[in-house]
Amino acid sequence: MTATVVLVLVVVTALAFDFTNGFHDTGNAMATSIATGALAPKTAVILSAILNLVGAFLSVEVALTVTNAVVRIQDKSGAPRPDLLSDGGSALLLIVLAGLCGGIVWNLLTWLLGLPSSSSHALFGGLVGATLVGLGSDGVNWAGDGSKLDGVLGKVVMPALLSPLIAVVVASVGTWLIYRITSGVAARFTEQGCRWGQIGSASLVSLAHGTNDAQKTMGVITLALIAAGHWSDTKAVPLWVKVACAVAIALGTYLGGWRIIRTLGKGLVEISSPQGMAAESSSAAVILASSHLGFALSTTHVATGSILGTGVGRGTEVRWGVAGRMVLAWLITLPAAGVVGATMWVVGHLLGGLLGAATVFGILLALAGWMYARSKRSHVDHTNVNDAWTGTPTSQLEPAGADGSAR
Amino acid sequence: MNNVTLALDGAWKVLLTGLLLGAGLPAIFALGIRALAYGRGGAAEVDAGAPPHPAGQVVGAACFALVLVGVGLGLTFIVASGFGKALAFTPWPTLVAK
Repeated sequence: MTATVVLVLVVVTALAFDFTNGFHDTGNAMATSIATGALAPKTAVILSAILNLVGAFLSVEVALTVTNAVVRIQDKSGAPRPDLLSDGGSALLLIVLAGLCGGIVWNLLTWLLGLPSSSSHALFGGLVGATLVGLGSDGVNWAGDGSKLDGVLGKVVMPALLSPLIAVVVASVGTWLIYRITSGVAARFTEQGCRWGQIGSASLVSLAHGTNDAQKTMGVITLALIAAGHWSDTKAVPLWVKVACAVAIALGTYLGGWRIIRTLGKGLVEISSPQGMAAESSSAAVILASSHLGFALSTTHVATGSILGTGVGRGTEVRWGVAGRMVLAWLITLPAAGVVGATMWVVGHLLGGLLGAATVFGILLALAGWMYARSKRSHVDHTNVNDAWTGTPTSQLEPAGADGSAR
Repeated sequence: MNNVTLALDGAWKVLLTGLLLGAGLPAIFALGIRALAYGRGGAAEVDAGAPPHPAGQVVGAACFALVLVGVGLGLTFIVASGFGKALAFTPWPTLVAK
């Protein structure tokens, strides 16, 4: 009975993470289309939500081994480590629950500050933190075995350093080329034509996001089910898990992380349709190329780099201050989510069993509620997402966000 | 340090492919717009007195078709990888098992 309740808590938390993953990343695909007016804000989020839903169902392949990138709680086939399975898999469930909490808290905090940051890195950070205190340093896959890109270094640190740079180069070259080629064409004519290119390329980014990101939560939930003895097939995901994850990420996308959309669409550079098209094409191409070559990049880092690149390529003003804040957020994503994950694990472990898991869940709810309440002080939604950029409207939150205490 | 070497090795391939598709296709799209404007003439050009050139329309359409093929390949890639297939270029794009 206890084990079942804990499992339910883990599944609900995983779906909540999937939901935050959705709204955190709406901006990656749609911020530029919203900023240039190619799509009305509501239309953009509906389109992106549908494509994420479709994308999630397209991913038939099983991503059961998703945690193997950074921690050692399952083997290569995806089966959980046997020594974590006593007592209904409670040891493994607590690590997963604490890790998910770390990811969610970081996603919500960065959303509150209007900063795009990688949801996968937040999840990985939470898992690393929980594993580090739960199983010790040996439980963490720091650098893999050296035969392929693996571990915290290969799957998180290196991609985070390289992907924005790649995207900046591709998008700036694309923007420069577009402006060179269309010089002599009436601006309105170019603007209209590029809107179509922009919508098309943004749709590709949304679809790719659905196939990549929903899979991760499906893998985590299935791992929890196997650990608790409610599923045994390491080659398939239960249908209800697939449906639930697809719906959660689509609902999240539809909600739209307006604060992040605003930062990406208006905060970094003033964007035009040709720039929007260059940015989304660059994002789509870099994301697809990297997943084809097995070099896992974060959609968020690529999208942000692409948008910066269009400013560089056109030679317009880039607000490097805003970009700097983002890079800082990326650098501390892993440790910050890790600290939350570790703390949650310690709380859950000390209280133990159902009480521990329920307390962790309660803390998560309290933190989420607090951040939601804070967000009301500077409301951003589809009605004011495109207002002129006047400084960073969320900066007043920084002291509170940075030390985690309310003023 | 293996991860660093492997990452840099992957990065330049991603950069190259990214430039080819992520900057190349938009450039062809822009070429399509350029040709279409040349084809329409008048208000589509900065020089509003430019006469229409029907050939421009044809070239423009060809450019857009090329871009659509590129996007189609991208879509195929996303869908195929979801079903455990991969896109191989031999040199023609074909679907193979992963």
